[in-house]
Formats: sequence, C-alpha cells, structure tokens
Amino acid sequence: MSTDKQTLLDYYRKMVLIRRFEETMEEHARKGYIPGFLHLGIGQEAAQVGTMASFQPGDYVLPDHRSHGVCLMVGTPTREVMAEIFGKKTGTNGGRGGSMHVADFKRGNVGNNAIQGSTMATACGLALAAQVKKTKSVTFEFIGDGTVGRGEFHESLNLAGIWKLPIVYVLVNNGYAISTRATDAHPLADLAKMGCAYKVPGITVDGNDVEAVQAAAKEATDRARRGDGATIIELKTYRWQGHFSGDPASYRPEEEVKAWKEKCPIKRLREKLLKPKMADEAALKAIEDDVEREIQDALKFSIDSPAPTIADALSFVYVGREVTGK
Amino acid sequence: MRTLNYKEALNEALHQEMANDSRVIVLGEDVARMGGDFGVTMGLLDKFGPDRVRDTPLSEAAIIGAANGAAFCGLRPVAEIMFADFITECYDQLVNNSAKARYMFNGQVMAPIVVRTASGAGFRAAYHHSQNIEAWFMNIPGLTVVAPATPHDAKGLLIASIRDDNPIIFLEHKMLYGTSGEVPEEPYALPIGVAEVKRPGTDVTIVSSMKQLHYALAVADQLAAEEEISCEVIDLRTIKPFDKATILSSVKKTGRVVLVNEAPKTGSINAEISAVITEEAFRDLKAPVERVNSLDVPVGFAPVLEDYVIPGPAEIAKAVRKVVDY
Repeated sequence: MSTDKQTLLDYYRKMVLIRRFEETMEEHARKGYIPGFLHLGIGQEAAQVGTMASFQPGDYVLPDHRSHGVCLMVGTPTREVMAEIFGKKTGTNGGRGGSMHVADFKRGNVGNNAIQGSTMATACGLALAAQVKKTKSVTFEFIGDGTVGRGEFHESLNLAGIWKLPIVYVLVNNGYAISTRATDAHPLADLAKMGCAYKVPGITVDGNDVEAVQAAAKEATDRARRGDGATIIELKTYRWQGHFSGDPASYRPEEEVKAWKEKCPIKRLREKLLKPKMADEAALKAIEDDVEREIQDALKFSIDSPAPTIADALSFVYVGREVTGK
Repeated sequence: MRTLNYKEALNEALHQEMANDSRVIVLGEDVARMGGDFGVTMGLLDKFGPDRVRDTPLSEAAIIGAANGAAFCGLRPVAEIMFADFITECYDQLVNNSAKARYMFNGQVMAPIVVRTASGAGFRAAYHHSQNIEAWFMNIPGLTVVAPATPHDAKGLLIASIRDDNPIIFLEHKMLYGTSGEVPEEPYALPIGVAEVKRPGTDVTIVSSMKQLHYALAVADQLAAEEEISCEVIDLRTIKPFDKATILSSVKKTGRVVLVNEAPKTGSINAEISAVITEEAFRDLKAPVERVNSLDVPVGFAPVLEDYVIPGPAEIAKAVRKVVDY
C-alpha cells in the first residue's frame, strides 16, 4: 500500500498518542488517581486510528468499551478526555461520565457506553436522522466481538439493511469478551460475515495494519455517504492488558500474548517508516517527544483540575425540572 | 363541544404536532401502512410520508435506540411499543440510555422521545397483553410517566409530551380507546406533573388513574347517593412525577385515603404515594391508607381468572367503607 509519508507520520503520532495515553491511565489508576474501572485499548491503536481517518465533521461516532483512543480521534483535547477519566469537572462530561461514558457531542462523539451493544440501536437513530434531515453524515459504531451476542447487534443490522442506513460498523475483534474466546462464543471465525443475513456486506481486515484498516474504513464510509448503506469492517487485533486495569488475564496463554505483542501495530508502522527511509529515528523521536509533552500537559491538567461539586450531582436529571438534594 | 374518542383524540394530537413541527417523526411496528394496532397512527403515512412515518421490524430495542439517536440529532421521535408488555424488550434502551443521556453526558444532549404504549387489563388477552407497567419505571431517575384517562387529557398530554424535552413513557389504557368525551379542535398542551380533582368531596380522597379512575368516579357517585359518603376523586394524569401537592391538600381536608391502581400491589405506585402521605401528612390521617390493586398474580386468560385478579368498583367501594368505618 502506498500511503504518503505525511499521512503515515500523522497515523504514527496518533497511535503513539493513544498508546501513551493508555499507559499513563494505567499507571495513574494503579497510583489511585482514577476511580472505578478502566478498560484499556493498548494494542488496538491501528484499528482506532485507521478507522477514524475517515471521520469527518458532521459525522457521528459511538466508541466501544475500550476506546479512549477513539474519543481522542474526534479532536477533543487530550486534556478533556483525560480529565474526564480522572472524574474532574474539566472533563468532557464534567466528571460525571468517566472512562466508560466520554462524550463530546459538538465534535460528533455521542458517547461510549457500558452496556455492550446498547449503542448499536442508537446508531440507527443517528443514521435515520441523517436520512430525514438529508445530510451526508455517517455514523461509526464501534463494537467488540462480544457484542455480536447481543440482541441489538441483530436488530441494528436488520434495520440498517432494510433502511440502507449510513453506518460503518467497526467490529474490533480482539479475540476475547473478558475471558470468553470469540471462537467459543460465536460459530463464525470471521464475524464480518454476520452481516450476510441482513445484506450488510462485511470485510475482515488485519486490525494491526493501519493502512489496511484505513482502506477498508474508507471504502465503507464512502459507501455509506453515497447512500448505499451500512458495512461491517471486522478488525482482528488483540488487547495487551486484561479486560480491566488490574485483571491479570490468566485465562490467556502467555505465548499468545507474547506473539501478539510481536505484532504491535505501532512497532510495525515504525519499522515501515524507517525501512524505506520515509523518516529517520530523529524524526520519529521528535514525534514521540511531542506526544509526551501533550500527555504530560494533560496529566498535570487532570491532576490539578477540581472535582465536580455536590451541586453537580443534582443537575441535568430532567430538563426544566429540579430534583431535591439531601 | 365536539366529541371524540380517546383513540381519535390521540390521532388528532399526532396529526397536529406532525403538521406543526417537521422534527416530529413516528416509528414503530405497524404504525405506517396499518395506522397502528389500535389505529392511533391512522393517516400519518399518507399525510407525512415514509421518511417521517416508519414501520419497523419486531425490534423494540432498535425502535427505542433509534428514537434516542434521532432525538440526539434534534428530531422529536414518537415511538410506539404496541403493547406495554413488550417494553421489556427495550427496557435497557429506556433505562440506561433515554433516562440517563442528559445526566451522564453533562447536559450536552437531550432525549426528547415519547414512547406510546397500550397498557392495562380487560382485553381478555392474558399475560403478555394485559400488564400495567408504570411501577417498572418509578425507580428510574430521568424518566417521566404520563397516563391520561380521558380523550381530552389524551390529546392535551400527548401534545405536551411531544413538546417536552424529557423522555416520556406515555401510557394509553387499551380499554379506554373507545371511550368518548369532549375534545377541543385546536392543538393544546396540558401541564405534565399536574393531577386533576375530577370530583370534589370531603370524607375520603380517592387517587387513581386511567381505567380505574372511571371506576372510582362511578363508586363515588354511588356512595354519595346511597351511603352519604362524599369522595374526592383525583386523576393523577402524570404518574411520575405524581402531583404531591394536590394529593396532600386533599388528604389534609379528608384525612382518609384510598389509592386505586390496576397494577399488582407489591411495589406499585400506590406504595410510593402511601409512603409520601405517611411522611408528609401523617397527622392529617384519620385512618390508615388503603390500597386497591391487582393481586400479586399474573393476569390469566379465562375471564374468571382475570376478573378475580384485577380490581373493580366492588373493591374500591369496600376500601372506601373501610376507611370511613375505621
């Protein structure tokens, strides 16, 4: 594939940003800065960056359960995503969403969700609104392999099939739903084929090859924007960590984890950039340093930011109706 | 004034709101070509076209999810769930998405959807077409439950619900569709959260809604004529939030309360209203609060089974006498 140098360097920066973001989150969860659960996407950066390369202003995205990276890709400042995960008032949701509910509506991020598959139904409505309002908006619906078992998966694909909804289903198949192997949970090895029954075409792609992901996502996005309907792109990849930060993931063979780490999407792109001398070490190091400054800035911002106040607990329950406090 | 039945009043409300506001769309099973299982959406497809009036597959989760997503994009979806019993199929969408979207996304978005559904017993339709579901939603912050008892209120409350910025469960009692009453021709909105004293009285307060309200009114007339008991009958009209002020002011006057609701007794809205009366009007009470409910038993098929389980005028009269004789 012949993606130009500048684009590849841009992908590299984004993938390193996501990797460092996630590593920083894990470190600070361990140190006690981050309340609650943390689901990390280390190892899945190419899937996120390659897909979101086709995202345009006016589009919508519903990130999956493991996609701080997707939240970063709509253009939300890194500070605001990180502060949200820290539960701070300066976060995207004012600290009331956290890792599992980061949303930035004005940039098209309609929020990730802690009920797997739940947003597959929401995606139908975003796409339906595009039809009713006659816009060219495309909805990117990120899901994991586990979500294929949910009823909404089938209801959503069926509706997308009959209404030709402009949706790109991004099925990030990392092989496991917590401890359950995708191959034990679903009869098909390539889950992209699940769309057949609904006339939603699917393609299975190496999810650690950012260029391959980008190409598949672009084709699916163009198709949706043309009014030709939805597509599933299945991105085969692997999560390096356990299901949540702190999960030892003893249900996975060590050799398997090791083998996938060898297939690191960032390492792969780095090698590609260096081999034909598209970039030298110094250039990549400069990118990495630049990312590090962004991460450290976001981290300081997140640590220094105030928590929400008690009054925040009572707002936005209803529109135009107060609720009573203690 | 002109007379319409409950179904026609609802139908007129939909026609008028769709004509007045191009953001209003209607979706659900059999709502377009057929005009709804009970005929409430008749004529909408012809007048407003297939973009705004959509038949869906049997996919309640996708219906409500699509309504949420469309609402996030600025539309005003009115979704029909054919029978209230089927709402279990989309309970997640309502509870975890519609109800919480505004809160968890820090006010970035609203979910102004109306979910119309046919509830209640009396159709000889057994377990899965007869339930009263209001209590299932009482414990969910963010939701509103509206339940008209007359054609006049059906029209005014449906228009108000469509114009309201909150997600609303709009309960239509299926035994009321054919009941007639005076309905103004022009569009009008009634306040949500406001009960109505349907019949003033001094001895006993009866609080009810939907079909049971009509039983309560008949019992009140009968007891006034035959036993010189003066009942004040309150129609809740909105079940969540219910109108505490109107109830408490009546209790202050009468000191005796009978709560009438068609759902099973345990955990019903009567339990909540009774708790509020105990908390806030304990000193005004001259007798313990009486609850008239369905038994804690499913609605069986054979008429003798259904009639035994569902309350009626005899149970209401008995409860009134009990609080008077206490």
